[in-house]
Amino acid sequence: MEGSGKTETLYHLITRCITPTHSGGLEVGVVFIDTDYHFDMLRFVSILEGRLAEDSKTGSENEAEETVRSCLCRLSVVHCNSSVQLLLTLHYLENTFSSQPTLGLLVIDSISAFYWTDRFNGGESASCQEANLRKCAELLDRLRRNYGIVIFATTHAIMRNFGSDLGVSDVHGSSSSSSSRRWRSADCASDFDRPYLCRAWQRIVTHRVLFTKSHAPKDHKQIFSTACTSILTKGVKKCSFCVVEDGIKFICDK
Amino acid sequence: MVVLREGICPGINEDFIKALQTEDIRTVEDFVSWNPEELAQKCSLSYKALVAVRRVLLAQYTAYPISGADLYEELLSSTAILSTGSPSLDKLLDSGLYTGEITELTGSPGSGKTQVCFSVAVNISHQLKQTVVYIDTKGGMCANRLLQMLQTKTSNEQEQMEALQKIKVFRVFDVFSLLACLQNLRSTGLQKTSVGGGSVKALMVDSVSAVLSPILGGKQNEGMSLLMQVAGELKMIAKDFNIAVLVTNHVTKDGNGQLKAGLGLSWSHVPRTRVLLQRVENEETSSLRTATLTKSSRQACHMTKVFDLCHWSEERTTSISGKRKLD
Repeated sequence: MEGSGKTETLYHLITRCITPTHSGGLEVGVVFIDTDYHFDMLRFVSILEGRLAEDSKTGSENEAEETVRSCLCRLSVVHCNSSVQLLLTLHYLENTFSSQPTLGLLVIDSISAFYWTDRFNGGESASCQEANLRKCAELLDRLRRNYGIVIFATTHAIMRNFGSDLGVSDVHGSSSSSSSRRWRSADCASDFDRPYLCRAWQRIVTHRVLFTKSHAPKDHKQIFSTACTSILTKGVKKCSFCVVEDGIKFICDK
Repeated sequence: MVVLREGICPGINEDFIKALQTEDIRTVEDFVSWNPEELAQKCSLSYKALVAVRRVLLAQYTAYPISGADLYEELLSSTAILSTGSPSLDKLLDSGLYTGEITELTGSPGSGKTQVCFSVAVNISHQLKQTVVYIDTKGGMCANRLLQMLQTKTSNEQEQMEALQKIKVFRVFDVFSLLACLQNLRSTGLQKTSVGGGSVKALMVDSVSAVLSPILGGKQNEGMSLLMQVAGELKMIAKDFNIAVLVTNHVTKDGNGQLKAGLGLSWSHVPRTRVLLQRVENEETSSLRTATLTKSSRQACHMTKVFDLCHWSEERTTSISGKRKLD
């Protein structure tokens, strides 16, 4: 669903990846594929500055700017405007991944952006409609296996499941798993989490994180919660967070 | 789908294409998905030629990664915030309309969406002296009303005329003309449309639901695809030309009886910020309206401000805050 905190969570993860290790980060490169012009650089930088400020005690303003700049150099942003371009870009990025071993994370926001366009362009045949996404999924799987990168992709939940309100974020773990994929239905079944992307995509997803927005804001603060299901572990892991000026703050229940 | 044709890049001639067609490779995507070594064996083409062609095709058709630092520098220098002219609305939008983003106004009929668009257009053309492109899909554009608004701001006729000239109106009444209009603007129109030194800084579509809702529903394929195309065009115009896009949309009720924006879930992801306009309770005939922020990446949602359509530049001090039930 829109407004359920998926992009905020991605910003949080990316800042964690690109900040230097002495500030508590992981110092790896990130490639962000933006398919619907969603990436808000200004918001991202304010989150990054907030995180760096709380981690570094002293330092002049110039130093802070320098650190922000060096962090941003670890991030590359690519804009794609069609599924063909996405596929070709992934092929191109394969070279980048092989030549830069410090790249550890690939984020695609969102992979469902071309769903309707593809469906229309493919005519009547479902396999034709899904062809591009299927190729992308195969390529992503190959990238994961060969280069050991972690892939995050967001999907907009737009298909009604007659359950509840959710947004979906699919995560590929860096460990390979070829067991049969059977998704545990979360006990908080959702209205909109019916998987609608092609079968090839569903096959390569190893972790599925669903985002919900609670209806009643508590003390003017909107609470978001996520539920993560994975093929590797049983059960559903849940957590909640709220969005503040500097990014996400996780709330510990009890 | 990009079909492989002769001349699409140096190195591809007819024999090359014929050889590939024996393996049923007709498009660039198919070609790139194959390993050049396997292709060289199967189609008896030279490995070197295949690798060279692959490299050129990829270079031509992929999108290039930009470093985060460069993107940030570029944005810092090019993003502008356009004040709407109404202090209450500016507070709601975190100082105004941001260029490079789509802002949506939703509301039931008579809630003031078109009037707000007019007031913002007049403010941008008169105060900020920038050009505004106004795409009218409902026939609600009324130049007399714009003149009336300008007359309250200045009595100098010359200034009024200049400001009116900076508002470019396009009338489109179906989705195909809207797409044609947007594509035209994107390719050549925007440079030509800027008048008197000020460049186009805002684009308004009033209303986007009037052209999109008739094509949705039923089997949905074509309608949804056209909706995503319109969204893509608006976003590209916003980003590439640093323009603030303002669209209006109708409202429907969701399962709980709450008001929500029309055009469904797929459209709901498109605007960055959404404001819901409503009449003030118990004051149906006045020109007061409330604006509630329902989607924003910069401020806490559900903030509400009251403003007056007739007295645009004044700030209403009685602002209703927090949990106000929308019904």
